[in-house]
Order: sequence, then structure tokens, then C-alpha cells
Amino acid sequence: MNRTVLVGILLLIAENGIVPWLVPSEWSGRLAPHLPFVLLIYVASFAGRHRAFLFGLGFGLLSDILNYGSLIGPYAFGMGLIGYAGGLLMERTTPTLAKLIGLSAAASAAFGTVLYWIYRLFRLTSWSYGFAFYWFIAPTLLLEVLIALAMFVPVRRLLLKPSAKAAEESAT
Amino acid sequence: MIGLIVSIAVMGFTLGRTRLTWPEKFLNDAFGSVQGALYRPAAAVADFFGDLGRLSDVYKENRELRRTVAQYARERAAYNFVEAENERYKEALGFTERQKQLYDYRYRIAQIVGISSNPVDRTIKINLGSRDGIQTDMAVTTTDGSLVGLVSRVSEFTSTVEPITNMDIASDSSVQIAATVYGKEKESFGIIDSYDSNTGMLQMSKIDENDPMAPGDQVITSGLGLVFPRGILIGTLVDRQVGDFGLTQKATVKPAANFDHLREVFVVVVPDVNGP
Repeated sequence: MNRTVLVGILLLIAENGIVPWLVPSEWSGRLAPHLPFVLLIYVASFAGRHRAFLFGLGFGLLSDILNYGSLIGPYAFGMGLIGYAGGLLMERTTPTLAKLIGLSAAASAAFGTVLYWIYRLFRLTSWSYGFAFYWFIAPTLLLEVLIALAMFVPVRRLLLKPSAKAAEESAT
Repeated sequence: MIGLIVSIAVMGFTLGRTRLTWPEKFLNDAFGSVQGALYRPAAAVADFFGDLGRLSDVYKENRELRRTVAQYARERAAYNFVEAENERYKEALGFTERQKQLYDYRYRIAQIVGISSNPVDRTIKINLGSRDGIQTDMAVTTTDGSLVGLVSRVSEFTSTVEPITNMDIASDSSVQIAATVYGKEKESFGIIDSYDSNTGMLQMSKIDENDPMAPGDQVITSGLGLVFPRGILIGTLVDRQVGDFGLTQKATVKPAANFDHLREVFVVVVPDVNGP
């Protein structure tokens, strides 16, 4: 788990430092992948709902403070909530690739929606939900699913290692 | 559950606050320095590939630049005369030291260290902070002088810039910029108050019916509020139509700055006229 947190911090730095250069000009502001969020989906499916909740809350708060625009808290709230809900959904099943992709798509859409509604609630945006969905939720969803696919193999190894070791130890 | 409740409370608490507490400052500065080390190499690589693509335009650009330089050389002589004359008049009319320094802006260059990924609320982080004399509400421009946004939060070594694309008329905390057009500074006035993400245009409102501004004019800040420096390019006027209530007119303005793939910006330091 400690290494996952480290990876999360690296991903957060990469997100603000490198990703803006990879996104083409016309799509900036529309393609806004949140890399620790993708990691959170894996934490939710492999490490359980409580850890996912704390992970989401912590990294959400961190990115909130770093990107402090109008208010602190939307990311912490959204990521905590979705981490917990995702963990709850995946608790009774063994996570396969297909389930993870489905979960990351659903979680990304839910996160975009939560984010939009919080800003709407505080009257910081005047977009309609349809526009917000078309403008950033849908493109970001597709990109985040792709990133989740790319991260599947390394991240699963990272998260499964301790538990695999524990299983071996208990077997001997 | 408690975590969620606390984060909702935090949202309400932090809304509309401009000061930062020390943990926030510390996190901002720590991450800012690391991000800067990553952002600049990424920018260099991206620029290299961008330059490869633009090689064919270089000849045309060069010709255009030469023409501009020739024009500047001509105008500089005239400008020097006008400035000297202006100084003399200020002496003669007995301007106080405070009035003389009113428009003596200083431009501080800042490197960008990161851009947030929040699509609803974008922020840009720069590597100048309160140690360098940066304060909130200072204007930030691109290196070629067009307006990017305002400094919204300052920590010791980094500060956060809120781009003008975040402006929203429905929001209570949003800024409004007094604007005029280049060449008609005396007669024109309007207020830039919102940005439409869909069309990528700014909206200027409260324009007088008899105002001489026309499509194609360069919109600049007017500096009438004395908070905001004057003469910063905002964009180009695209069209003008009757406003919502028919009394005033509104116009759409195409922003001059390119808000992404920025590397360096200028922070415009306004002399502290209200200070001692």
C-alpha cells in the first residue's frame, strides 16, 4: 500500500506537469484525465472499500489543495465516495479485466457528474448537464478507460504482490 | 461517512477564501518545485516537435517580423518625443510622485510549473510567490502581452493563476474586467464578464449605443478601476449586438492568448498607489 501511495503521488505530479503537453490544444479543458483517480479504481477493486475510501479522500484532498481554484473539497468528496462505492461493488467478485474496464467507465462518468453537480450547487458554473457531459465527461471517460487498460498489468502486480506473498506464507 | 461530511463542510468553508494557511502553502511549494522540474522538460520536447511542424512557416513569419521591426523603429522615435513631452507636462502641472508612478508597471517573468486537470475550474501554477512580491489580483499576461488571467492565490514560492476562461457571469465571486478598444480609448468602454467554453469567446457587456467600437478592433484593458493595469491586450472584437435589455449593447471578443501549452508568463506588478 505504501508503494501504491508513492505511485499515486508520482502520477499526480505527472498529471499536472506532463499531461497538459500531451493533450492537443483543441482538446485542452475537455480531455482532463485524473491519473490518481484511475489508480483509485484499482485500489477499490484489489484492496477493499475502506482503503479505497481513505486513498480517495487523501489524494482528492491533495489535488484539491494543489489545484485550489474556487473551493477545496470536490475531488476529496468525489474520490472518497467513488472509492468506497467501487470497493463495495467489487468486494464479492474477483476482479477481471472486463469488470475493471466497466467499473472504470462507470466510475469516471460518476466522478465527472459529482464534480459538475458540486460546482453547479455552489453556482460556480452555468453549464447545463448535457453540455458538461458532452464537453468533458464523455471524452475524459474514454481517455481514462484507455489509461486504465494501459495500467492494468503493472498496477495489478503492484497491488497484488503483498497479498500474494501473504497467501504463500499462510500456505507454508 | 464522517469523511464525506467533513469534505462537504470544507467546501463551504473554503468557498470564496483567498488567503492560504501554512499546510496549503507548504504542499503547494513542495509540489510546485517538483512539478516545475517535470513541466519544463516536457515543454521543451513538445516545443521541439511543434517547431518541426512549423518549419515551413518560418520564411513567412520572418518577413512579417521584419516589417513589424521596421515599424517599431519608426514609432520609437515618435514615442520618445511624446514621452519626454508628457514628463515635462507632468512636471509643469505639478503631479505628485504618487500620480507619476501610477502607470509605472513592472513585468516579472514567471515559469509555469503546472496546469490543473479540473475541467470545471482550471488553474495555472507559476513559480513566483509572495517572496517575489506577488499579490493576489495581479494581472498575468503571455510573453507577447495578451491577458491570461489573475493571480488568485499566493504562497511563499508559487502562486495560482485563475485564467479568464473561468469567468462566469452567474457566479458571485467571478471577476469583471473594464475594457476599451485600441485607438479609441477615450470613447469606448465595456465590461468583459464571461467566457463561453463552447464557442471559445469572451463576452463584453454594458457598451453604450453610440460607442464607436467595431468588429476587428483590438480590445484592451482600460485600467479605470486602478486595480488592473491598463493597456493589456485581451482580444479581438468579433461582433456586436443589442444586449439583453435593449439599453446597452454587448459584443463577443475572441481572446488573444492561447491558454494552453504556455511556458512562461509575465506578472504585471502595479505600483502600490494606496500604500504609504
